Amino acid sequence: MKKILLIFAVFVLLTSLVQGQDKPASSLGFTPRSYYTFSWNTTFTMGDFNKWVGNASPAGFDMGGRYFIKNGLAVGWNLSWQRVSQIYDNETYTIPDKGIAINAENYRFTWMIPFQVALAYHFIPEKMVSPYIGLGIGGDYMEHHLMIQEYDIYKTRWDFSLTPEVGALVKFGNFNQWGALVAFNYKWTTNQIELYETTSKNLQMLNLKVGIAMIIR
Amino acid sequence: MKTKLGLLFLGMGLVFTISCTKYPPSSDRLLEDLAVLTQYDTKVDFNLYKTYSISTPVMKVTDDGTVPMTGQTADAVLAQIDKNMKARGFVPAVAPQKPDLGIQVMYFQNTTVYTYYYDWWGYYPYYPYYYPVYYSSYTTGMANIELMDLKNAGTDNRAAVRWNAFIRGLLTDTHTTAEITGRVDQAFIQTPQLQTTKP
Repeated sequence: MKKILLIFAVFVLLTSLVQGQDKPASSLGFTPRSYYTFSWNTTFTMGDFNKWVGNASPAGFDMGGRYFIKNGLAVGWNLSWQRVSQIYDNETYTIPDKGIAINAENYRFTWMIPFQVALAYHFIPEKMVSPYIGLGIGGDYMEHHLMIQEYDIYKTRWDFSLTPEVGALVKFGNFNQWGALVAFNYKWTTNQIELYETTSKNLQMLNLKVGIAMIIR
Repeated sequence: MKTKLGLLFLGMGLVFTISCTKYPPSSDRLLEDLAVLTQYDTKVDFNLYKTYSISTPVMKVTDDGTVPMTGQTADAVLAQIDKNMKARGFVPAVAPQKPDLGIQVMYFQNTTVYTYYYDWWGYYPYYPYYYPVYYSSYTTGMANIELMDLKNAGTDNRAAVRWNAFIRGLLTDTHTTAEITGRVDQAFIQTPQLQTTKP
């Protein structure tokens, strides 16, 4: 897994160094041909997922690329890594028909690798602040872990996911090749957690992404 | 400028890669926890039992054999069981009265040795495959409280276990007597079925 991520990081770096021809600065700003982002991702679990892990988690990163195909319309991809985790003290699990009860401190966490193709529409792509709306469609690889003492009980699941997003690409200057990305999205997945008494379906979450963007003219 | 920015991007990529650890930090603290597992006989009505007797001393079972266990913690565990049984309506049997329930506490101490391989990123292509083996061990301690049905014991002196509680932890030497007796309380708390009406 580490090798794949390293290769991907190098790939993004190399592709971002490929430049298009400069256009004359006839107007203030420019419409990018493409841009690549690297963001810090904070996850807020929702619904059933929030019952599994209630904490918001800043442990996540996201890489993405967008390629403008017509006016403000762009297509692209996202690859992320996220983890949500929480320790629960003195929690009791019961199996009533067998008369069993287990009380222990337990650590719950979910490790996620989302991958999506994305569609985004930038309302004013040539401006320094370029707000957009987008939709990501793809999947996740998730591992749900329940740790008690030295035991690690876990299940892995793949899913389908949808992620509507709003955000803005902010250039550091009208003609600057670098900028910032701020985005907020809601994610719905078909993933589920089935560990002991916990059954959660259609895991949902909110994500706040703040990062850096390399903009290609 | 472009080189600097490229290096910045590469650096961030490396930070991302390095930080991709699956397991969250501080999960090691779970090893210091005392887990309590209880199981009762779901077919038994505990109202049919009124008296009990606790066998002493606590017996300690190690890799080398079984020995009596004495000391403040062992005494405190027995006292806490006694206190909880009384609170649930049971009455200590007075000799020569035969108790309905017999309570026995055993303490198990085991050391587990295991092997593991270091997690290599790769291997040197001009060397044969070689993965060094590492050895490690951990020691676990577990108290087992058994509640035996002496009222319905057969003529062969074999008694059925109606409830038992395991208090388990790795031996990290960090547990106080109060924590251990607290776990005894927890064993009773998570078994509300274990109670009777006073005779």
